[in-house]
Amino acid sequence: MRIGVFICKCGTNIAATVDTEAVARKALEYPDVVYATDYMYTCSEPGQDEIQQAIEEHDLQGVVVAACSPRMHEVTFRRAVEKAGLNRYMFEQANIREHCSWISKDTEANTRKAIDLVRMSVEKLRFNHPLFSSQVPINKRVLVIGGGISGIQAALDCAEGGLDVVMVERESTIGGKMAKLDKTFPTIDCSACILGPKMVDVAQHENIHLYAYSEIESVSGYMGNFKVDIRKKATYVDWDACTGCGLCTEKCPAKKSFDGFNEGLDTTTAINISFPQAIPKRAKIDPKYCWYLTKEKCKICQKICPVDAIRFDMKDETVVEEVGAIIVATGFDLVDHSVYGEYGGGHYPDVITGLQFERLVSASGPYEGHIIRPSDGKEPKNIVFIACVGSRDPSIGRPYCSGICCMYIAKQAILARDHIPDSNCYVFYIDIRAPGKNYEEFVRRAQEDYGVQYIRGRVGKIYPQGEHLIVQGIDTLLGIQVEVEADLVVLATGVAASVGAKELAEKLRISYDEYGFYMESHPKLRPVETNTAGVFLAGVCQGPKDIPASVAQGSAAAAKTQILFSRDTIETDPQIAKVNERMCIGCGKCIDVCPFGSIQWKTLRDGSQKAEVLDTVCQGCGLCNATCPPKAIQLQHCTDDQILAEIEVLCAGERHG
Amino acid sequence: MEDKTKTLQREFLKVFEKLEVVLGWEPGYDSLHATPSFIRQAKDLNKLVWNPLCSQNLCTYLVKTLNASVRKDDKKIGICVKGCDSRSLVALIQEKFITRETFYIVGIPCEGTVDWRRLMRIEPSLKDVQKVDIQGNELEVETAQKTYRFPLQQVLEQRCLHCRYPNPIIYDCLIGEPITPHIGDDQAYGDIEKIEQYSLPDRLKFWEKELDRCIRCYACRNACPLCVCRDSCIAETRTPKWLSQRCDLKEKFFYHMIHAIHLAGRCTECGECERVCPMEIPVTLIKKKLNQIVKDLLDYEAGIDPQKQPPLLTFDPGEKGI
Amino acid sequence: MVNSKEESTTKKDLLIVGFLCNWCSYGGADTAGVCRFNQPTDLRIIRIPCTGRMDPLFVVKALIYGADGVLVSGCHPKDCHYNEGNFYARRRLEVLKQFLPFMGIHTDRFRYSWVSSSEGRLWQQVVTEFSETIHGLGPNPGVHGESDAKAGMSFYT
Repeated sequence: MRIGVFICKCGTNIAATVDTEAVARKALEYPDVVYATDYMYTCSEPGQDEIQQAIEEHDLQGVVVAACSPRMHEVTFRRAVEKAGLNRYMFEQANIREHCSWISKDTEANTRKAIDLVRMSVEKLRFNHPLFSSQVPINKRVLVIGGGISGIQAALDCAEGGLDVVMVERESTIGGKMAKLDKTFPTIDCSACILGPKMVDVAQHENIHLYAYSEIESVSGYMGNFKVDIRKKATYVDWDACTGCGLCTEKCPAKKSFDGFNEGLDTTTAINISFPQAIPKRAKIDPKYCWYLTKEKCKICQKICPVDAIRFDMKDETVVEEVGAIIVATGFDLVDHSVYGEYGGGHYPDVITGLQFERLVSASGPYEGHIIRPSDGKEPKNIVFIACVGSRDPSIGRPYCSGICCMYIAKQAILARDHIPDSNCYVFYIDIRAPGKNYEEFVRRAQEDYGVQYIRGRVGKIYPQGEHLIVQGIDTLLGIQVEVEADLVVLATGVAASVGAKELAEKLRISYDEYGFYMESHPKLRPVETNTAGVFLAGVCQGPKDIPASVAQGSAAAAKTQILFSRDTIETDPQIAKVNERMCIGCGKCIDVCPFGSIQWKTLRDGSQKAEVLDTVCQGCGLCNATCPPKAIQLQHCTDDQILAEIEVLCAGERHG
Repeated sequence: MEDKTKTLQREFLKVFEKLEVVLGWEPGYDSLHATPSFIRQAKDLNKLVWNPLCSQNLCTYLVKTLNASVRKDDKKIGICVKGCDSRSLVALIQEKFITRETFYIVGIPCEGTVDWRRLMRIEPSLKDVQKVDIQGNELEVETAQKTYRFPLQQVLEQRCLHCRYPNPIIYDCLIGEPITPHIGDDQAYGDIEKIEQYSLPDRLKFWEKELDRCIRCYACRNACPLCVCRDSCIAETRTPKWLSQRCDLKEKFFYHMIHAIHLAGRCTECGECERVCPMEIPVTLIKKKLNQIVKDLLDYEAGIDPQKQPPLLTFDPGEKGI
Repeated sequence: MVNSKEESTTKKDLLIVGFLCNWCSYGGADTAGVCRFNQPTDLRIIRIPCTGRMDPLFVVKALIYGADGVLVSGCHPKDCHYNEGNFYARRRLEVLKQFLPFMGIHTDRFRYSWVSSSEGRLWQQVVTEFSETIHGLGPNPGVHGESDAKAGMSFYT
């Protein structure tokens, strides 16, 4: 190999404490080095020109640049050598600035170090091979997991952009948490009125295929070519036939079924449609409550159904969809407030969650919009809201702020004052967090225009007394004990990761934090990407956020998908693991350890099993390489031979003194 | 009581039609050696023997020689295992090289096997040996002339002196009664403690002295039931080139480190590496030390639980103390 | 192991080989450089994608063939760019660290640490401390062929 070495002075950044000329002179003694020089700014245009000229004049086959960190300019120099006709991987960069000239003022020692660093790079380069990316076609369909507002936004944006969208929703209707809300802060918009049309758009858009009441069974493949098994849970109703007329729900005798949509405030029928605006508007049978499925008698729905859609023998069914990208928008669930024994541990019927209050006050809720107490149906006069229940509380392992509760209880207090003008509303809070647009003003309105009484302090205890609930707390501003005789207590229940979030993350091979929220690729600069290429995040599954932020992230995820799909093929990074089949002993240890599932079995004609790397899935971490006993799997561009060569040349060098 | 050799032969005969081959031992090239035996016909079963000379760990042949992971028909492999050997079998199952169902395992509780080199050092004139047997704490050697008795401590293999698992971990059929281990868990690492009493420079000197005798014959590797790389072993491959063919101390030292590190969390302490070393280098000690570390740090012993994953091939995000 | 040569060796460069993961510690070392955090000059850094790439045998190789110290550094556990690499690394490297003294190699000649790309100050500390430790130990006596070995005698007899 004919190698050229270029030592950058970086103005005085390097030259002030490294004798670059001496380094270049020394480099000429190394094996295969045919040209070496130093230059003022190697990364500048004339600097790059010089490299390119030298490649031509000296017929160089590899280039070492000793300059700043490769994290800074590796891409720049690779491009430069590529322009001169070399393969871009026939390049190595020695870091003699951040790791050398900038961290010591001892010119002699720095020069010796720079000499070593260049020597190592030359030695590594001698084992480099040209590497080539391959092109893999992209399947331009996208899977959206979760049909809440964020998933809806992502799906609609993708579909409008011409992409085929597959949406999977675990409940029988899309809409998510927003569908349960009465109004939204800070505009007091009717939630159903702004969400409803979007849900209808999803149902009617020709590019969107919706799998409701379905879950992700498994995911395989890689960016551009995922294969997803979707389990359609048995609804016991043929949805192709069902028209959503609702006759069955009127006649069903099993009227004590749990009503999840109304947060358990009401009961429903065993065969039911979640709510009138459900999308898809189809009936499903809850097998836990259906008389026929539990006791083998009844079948009334089957008799009454005008289109003969009831299928008691229906089983779960798995369908396979192939997509090129995945948007995860699985949302959240509420923190289980029963851990708070001091607030009744879930045993007082008139201590309710924020979401239950939404159903209470909603015109489509069980009480048709009349705020009444779940226990006796009376109208409450004194309503207490308690902030930070399950948020900012390290004692239950949830130190984070849920971000939305301060705002939603302000809204709920306003709604309560609107509905019951002679009511008193109290809010116990720690701090008010209202950083959004018009948010602070909104909270002020609650306090000033609606007369909601804000008390800064925690509630220590709630206990029933007669018809009332006594709320004991502290007003830390006045430094006094406070006791409120409440008729209704609303806990501003915080945000928890969605049930099953971790299991889904394992299937998708994306990371999650200790609370189960999905990890973005970079907290600031890559907030929508995950560390698994082709999987994007939207909404609260990534961390607590409000509706505008969820919608924005949904659109962002759609944009990322569109960017990915704007090309017809993906260029793979060739710095990945590669198996030498002749040496592979088929022990499967690489397959076991690979964090990305990028290695699979391959059966040769003689029946022997070998490992095989999926080029587009491998991320190039090299864990397999370190694990492989015979080192049959090698990380390209960082092979054992390259690392060993660097070690050997260092150890063989004379120690200077 | 029936002779164990006879029982062994009889047990295999009962199931022989379901077996493709039986791995056992037969008399060796002289009366102080047994040698591995691959029996494919029922009439040859009477070659099989069991006695304190049956040193070889037959599991060594499973992956390298028989390629037991690839089965053509549903016939099983019959194999004899001592306590230590059975751990190698379990370890191979753990690492998915073989499956339990493929084997008909005859387990033999073992009082220890004889290190003929030690025996010959004590009694260099020993010849015409006719029978070797363990009686209580003594080895009884019958020759044409007379019967010798040696204290077991003086003639057993080193591995047997520190054996905690004389009884097979898994088997389909057990020959004889289980034995109480001679040694408690607390004494298991007595031999490595001897080295740890040396100062650090003396330990280095010790290993330099020991490993410098290495002739890089790779017998230790070839005899190891868990060294499964065959021709791909990085001690010999050119790409990647971990070792040169230069026979100096650094290369020998590094070779033994490769062998040991590759067995970290996998070695079942069968001691074959040391038994077969023509230079009598105590190489098993290196692996035992690693085992001790893995046991203390990660609470794991190889070849005990077929369900467990070797600890360096897995992880625990929440683990403390590392 | 602090030998009498210590005084005369503290001024000289010793050879410390560093294996740094590209995403965290290599970035941390860059950050320390950008901040001009002064550091000893003995360290030579080899860039690897992840500590999961780290075969413990690289450390052994360096120590046998003459490195005076080896430093491996990567992302903090749970922050691995590849999710899991450093979980494997910490097990493998800790086992190695405890094992080296059995072979007569001082355990302090090898260290592994977790430094993120923003922790320039921490990196300076790690390098400074480790370099001081290695200078304290002096040059690695290393494995060499001058032992007074006489072939034949078994360890046990």
